[in-house]
Amino acid sequence: MSSRVLLHVGTPKTGTSYLQDVLFRNRRVLANADICYPADRFDEHFLAALDLMRMPWGGLEAEAVGAWDRLAARVREHRHTSIVSHEILATASRSQVGRALESLGHGDGTEIHIVLSVRDLVRQIPAEWQENVKHRSGIGYRAFLDQIKDPERESRIASWFWGVQEIPDILDRWGHDLPPERIHLVTVPPSGGAPELLWKRFSQVFGLDGLDLDLEAERANPSLGVPETALIRRINRAANRELAPADYRPLVRELLAHQTLSRRRSSPRLALPPEDYPWVQRLQQAYVDAVTERGYDVVGDLNELLGPQPTTWHDPDRPGERQVANAAVDAIKALLLESARLRHDEQRLEAELAETRAALERSYLRPTYRFREKTVRRLQRSRVGRGLLKAYRLARGRSSRSA
Amino acid sequence: MADGERRAWGWVAALRAGATTPWREFTGTAERGGRYLPGAQQLELLRRLNLAGRPGPTLVERVLTASAPGRGRPDLELVGVADESPFGPRPVDPATLPDAELIRVATGLIAEDLVAAGAPPPPPAGRPRPWRRAYRLVGDPWLADPARAELRRRGRPPGGRRPTIYVLGTDLATLLAHAWTTRAFDEGGGPWPDWLGGFVGHDRVPPRADLTRFARTWAERVGRSRVQVVLDPDRLPALVGVRRPLPGPPAYSADAIDLVRRVSAPLGLLVLPEERTRLLRETLGPRLADAAGPPPGVPPQHADWVVQRAVRMRDELLGAGYAVHGDPDALVPDAPAEGTTPDDAGVLSLAVRLLLEDGDRR
Repeated sequence: MSSRVLLHVGTPKTGTSYLQDVLFRNRRVLANADICYPADRFDEHFLAALDLMRMPWGGLEAEAVGAWDRLAARVREHRHTSIVSHEILATASRSQVGRALESLGHGDGTEIHIVLSVRDLVRQIPAEWQENVKHRSGIGYRAFLDQIKDPERESRIASWFWGVQEIPDILDRWGHDLPPERIHLVTVPPSGGAPELLWKRFSQVFGLDGLDLDLEAERANPSLGVPETALIRRINRAANRELAPADYRPLVRELLAHQTLSRRRSSPRLALPPEDYPWVQRLQQAYVDAVTERGYDVVGDLNELLGPQPTTWHDPDRPGERQVANAAVDAIKALLLESARLRHDEQRLEAELAETRAALERSYLRPTYRFREKTVRRLQRSRVGRGLLKAYRLARGRSSRSA
Repeated sequence: MADGERRAWGWVAALRAGATTPWREFTGTAERGGRYLPGAQQLELLRRLNLAGRPGPTLVERVLTASAPGRGRPDLELVGVADESPFGPRPVDPATLPDAELIRVATGLIAEDLVAAGAPPPPPAGRPRPWRRAYRLVGDPWLADPARAELRRRGRPPGGRRPTIYVLGTDLATLLAHAWTTRAFDEGGGPWPDWLGGFVGHDRVPPRADLTRFARTWAERVGRSRVQVVLDPDRLPALVGVRRPLPGPPAYSADAIDLVRRVSAPLGLLVLPEERTRLLRETLGPRLADAAGPPPGVPPQHADWVVQRAVRMRDELLGAGYAVHGDPDALVPDAPAEGTTPDDAGVLSLAVRLLLEDGDRR
């Protein structure tokens, strides 16, 4: 039974992919320090979260069957500190939270800590829209904003957005049964600050200070600019019906969005529309007031949740067409290079297959092979023949039954 | 504890005891009966179960601790319990919740029941008859699957030397309903109107209903002379060499199929895809066989499109020269198809019935 579990439940777009990548790649170093990060594959905690919340995810859920119970069992087997981290856990319901905490040892002697990394809504709102677009959505930015501003929150987009972004409500669900000192908020520093500051905060809250960790990121969830996001949205609308989720992930999300278009750093960045800032400002202040009143442990500065008004605004629903065309050229180039790579792979495999076929053919052409084949075929036609073959195979001592 | 919270716990206790009083009319109180108040969806589903029958204690507790699976509205609070928090979704009067919200909770529980029940073992294959004809059944999977299974049971498995390929079909309106039904039982998918509307919008016939595609694919593989289209199901037994008739597909109401479709999503998180299909077809399907109601039907606004595509399909099949058993005009629906669009109230009523039948056995 773990004596202490640090359960990082969100929120999305707060450096979680980087944190999870560092934890995954440094599992052995962590284990030497008696810290368990129970994962054999990078997305193991994501699959566990899908399983806990019974959430379909473009076919990935088939790999998630039983994943939470397996993860919880590994946490219970470990004696010291364990870390579990995935941002979609933020949206868990009270009963799912109850099941999660109980399975990790809550009420059974384990000290559970909830960690929530948080960022101002000025940056989170455009980032969430972009995440929707990178997950096949064709919704425009204004339509997205209208949905999340609807007080009824009945749409799938709105219920998801507030489920993973409304900090006091997330902490109500995850923390209602825990003392406030076991609930830790890590604030994301403002844009333009020292890049290592966020990691230092994570390191502090997860007790990783002093460990010799490899901090080179292999995985991250980089952001796109205005024309690039508009381009992906247009691709979604044109190709969604034909492109299966299993192909969308490597081709659009990874190859186009993450590996190609995210490198275009000079294009205008996504931002909050100026007219929506007063609404967001009120919400942010309410979050800060609620968190202050509840007395949680804050790592960083709560004032960082009061995102400043953006200084520039480019409407992604009306992007500069020249910029979109330039992004599209980069995307076509990436797809051409990928196609060329696959063609070379295909040619190599075809050559290997032809070589194997030729070798097989040569062995078939031997007179002894042809004689044996003819004999077996003749024997298989009669019951007696089949019996003889069976006896021969048994006597020979190994299975050579026909396929 | 505030008065509103006492009243809420009172309602929970009353529902546990079988009450059917709606929340807005309830006046009793009770002390806290758990770590947290169940959501409005769970409580209203329990009230509907109480209205329909007598749920046992196991089912009652399962409903109260259930979460709605998948994406959608979170567990909602009851209106009038506490001062309205500025955070979280607005509290609701549970009687005003759409049926779809209650169906979400119910499908998670039905999926658990299916896993607990398991699928029956597949029927044993009959001893292969040495004189059997070589055949393959393709085309409408909802027609082909039961016929193939029966032939296998009678010792006539598909395949063999130089098999004849029979492309099974019927009128296009029914083919479309069959394609959606097969998808619902195999992998879930979207609601009937959205699914159909998507294909109409793109002027495409779904792959499972596209007889031309089946015939062309097999003709390229084995030659056109060995591909035959069967539009009259009565002729199939003679073609594959059996005397007794072959079973037709199971007939389900539109609501029953829609319930299967919705159960498929949470079930996909409990078992692997192959097992999911078996549980939906072999365990859930038979339990819904007696649910009355019309099958899914093409809405009137798409009727012209269906006729136009059916005529094109008929002409392509005839033009390509395939042998056709039955009247080729049978592909074209000659009258507005009998059928309907699934209705949430009907789906919820079926879900409640299933839960009352099975939900207390676990």
